[in-house]
Amino acid sequence: MRNALTIAGAELRLFLRDRSNLFFVFVFPLMLVLMIGLQFGEGASSGRVAVSGAGSALQTGLVERLEDGDVVVSDPSWDDALALLARGRLDVAVRVDGAAATAYDAGEAVTLEVVRGSSGNAQVVEQQVGVGVDALRSARSRILALEANGVPSDRAEAALAAAEGEVSAPRLEVTSVDRLSQEFEGMGQFEFGASGQLLLFTFLACLGGAATLIQARRLGVVSRMLAGPVTAEELVAGQVLGRWAIALFQGGYLMVATSVLFGVEWGSLPLALLVLLLFSLVAAGAAILLGTLLENEGAAAGAGIGFGLVLAALGGSMFPLELFPDTMRTISRFTPHAWAYEALADVQRRGAGLVEVLPELGVLAAMAALLVALGSWSLRRSLARAM
Amino acid sequence: MTHDVLVVDSLVRRFGDLTAVDEVSFRIAPGETYGLLGPNGAGKTTTISMVAGLIAADAGTVTVAGEPMTPRAIEPKRHLGLVPQELAIYPDLTGRENLTLFGRLQGLRGSELKVRVDEVLALIGLADRAKDRSKEYSGGMKRRLNIGIGLLNRPTLLILDEPTVGVDPQSRNAILESVEALSGEGMAVLYTTHYMEEAERLCDRIGIIDSGRLQAEGTRDDLIRLTGGVDTIRLGGSGDLAAAAEELRLIPGVERVDAERRSATLTVKDAPALVAQVVGTAADCGVTLADVEITRPDLESVFLHLTGKGLRD
Repeated sequence: MRNALTIAGAELRLFLRDRSNLFFVFVFPLMLVLMIGLQFGEGASSGRVAVSGAGSALQTGLVERLEDGDVVVSDPSWDDALALLARGRLDVAVRVDGAAATAYDAGEAVTLEVVRGSSGNAQVVEQQVGVGVDALRSARSRILALEANGVPSDRAEAALAAAEGEVSAPRLEVTSVDRLSQEFEGMGQFEFGASGQLLLFTFLACLGGAATLIQARRLGVVSRMLAGPVTAEELVAGQVLGRWAIALFQGGYLMVATSVLFGVEWGSLPLALLVLLLFSLVAAGAAILLGTLLENEGAAAGAGIGFGLVLAALGGSMFPLELFPDTMRTISRFTPHAWAYEALADVQRRGAGLVEVLPELGVLAAMAALLVALGSWSLRRSLARAM
Repeated sequence: MTHDVLVVDSLVRRFGDLTAVDEVSFRIAPGETYGLLGPNGAGKTTTISMVAGLIAADAGTVTVAGEPMTPRAIEPKRHLGLVPQELAIYPDLTGRENLTLFGRLQGLRGSELKVRVDEVLALIGLADRAKDRSKEYSGGMKRRLNIGIGLLNRPTLLILDEPTVGVDPQSRNAILESVEALSGEGMAVLYTTHYMEEAERLCDRIGIIDSGRLQAEGTRDDLIRLTGGVDTIRLGGSGDLAAAAEELRLIPGVERVDAERRSATLTVKDAPALVAQVVGTAADCGVTLADVEITRPDLESVFLHLTGKGLRD
């Protein structure tokens, strides 16, 4: 076992020693998680609004209300706001002029100039602005009514705030009956990107190890090891362990980094790690098989990337499995990515326990056993052939 | 009684219809350097692959330090150091990391491993470059590292498979000096080469191998004797060498003289021992010598004699 660990340690060291890996292992996956999160995550629908004006109670109140609703608010000049809108940097531009401010202060109907952009989200954001202004006007009317009845302005505001605190707002529970909505329930902004890229890059990093195995065979390093007191079983175990360690390193790094940088929730950590362990073992078996079936490092690197990308695409790492048509969903079941994706989705979004994800884990374990056995057999065969 | 470090007995290996190694037998004693001399494709590497336990023999046995060697054997491999013909090192690991990795696989641990790695780095002259990746080394340095890995476990038997192929003359000389030194320290060495000069310089005994068969083995002189063991002395100069030939034929040890007016070729038993007497006799006969050339049979001649072809054919 010591010899196997020594060989595995050397493989991991070689992986980390490769400078090109620094970008593709540590930086690139996180960039993709960020981009996917910004484009498709729930945070993308918050909206971007410019509120222009000379400064008034209406403007201040509107900004606060929109920001409470997670809308990104800026206060450029009106011309700048229109330019930003034209370039697609804003969803809605609002101008609070002197007349509107005066009308608001007087408790009268407020007319605002609102320009909506062309983004898909603009209509919703415009509605948020309208609801916000209505709510502000309503509050202002109540204060004015109290003042008209002799209540000082500061006491009127305090009384309204106290009254709001005492009254429970009606609770509205929305239950979605749409299957698709239910499947995405509980998913944060970066969760899809994180789990998808975790599977994609874990598999890719491991398949990249196929080239180092070919190099070791070509250089005679593998034969040299066998000329020492090292059994063929130890050598095969070391090669599998080495690639397993590479996959676990990549996957573990992405779990930690996305959790720290993007606040991704991985659900039950032991279960998420179990999924990663089994998925990585599948990748290790595939890497050994690829590294023994091919004789050229360049071909192995190219095949590894191509194979890894196709499996990831079919397995839901690039586009959510939930949105696949039925035929593609059936095909995806032949990839380890799909089973790992579903297991992670259960653990992350639905709080699933071990029993609930046992079917996915079982399939991953079976795939791992098959590929590791095939890879080991193929490696032993290639060693015999090389001698 | 001294046990041989390596005993190879009737070794056979076939690849399909081709018999790559055919009934090869030889032994190596402690401290002895044994050369397997033969052209490319003669069966040298296949033979040492079986000796190193990398491939199984179809017939015959290999015993290393008294232990039978097979691909699954572990104990005899502890006595073995293999320096393959190719540079079997990780290019992306440093010299020290390569040595440490293979040292661990040889069973060395902790301070023992560190001390031994330092010793080997000093021995192969790479202590100053130990932290550099081996892909940054020159060809000669890579060769030295390749050899150093084979020395980590202080092997009883060191196998060197054509270690000077593709090496510049300076590095080649350094490698040959290292092998001479190791042999002087009592290590048995099995050295394969197709360079006659290396075999002559390094090896106590030489096995000549061709087409998978060991054609002959023995010391250099033993092998030379197979050709008849005669030297030639060629004389050139002014004066009548044809007339001097009669006197030259009378010198004990001279077997034959072929003379013309200005040159003569003498076939003799031991040219270095007779050359002074030959030169003196020629001078006494009034010949002024301008050229004296001694030719002794070498391993090339032996190979030619045994196989009918040259070493580099």
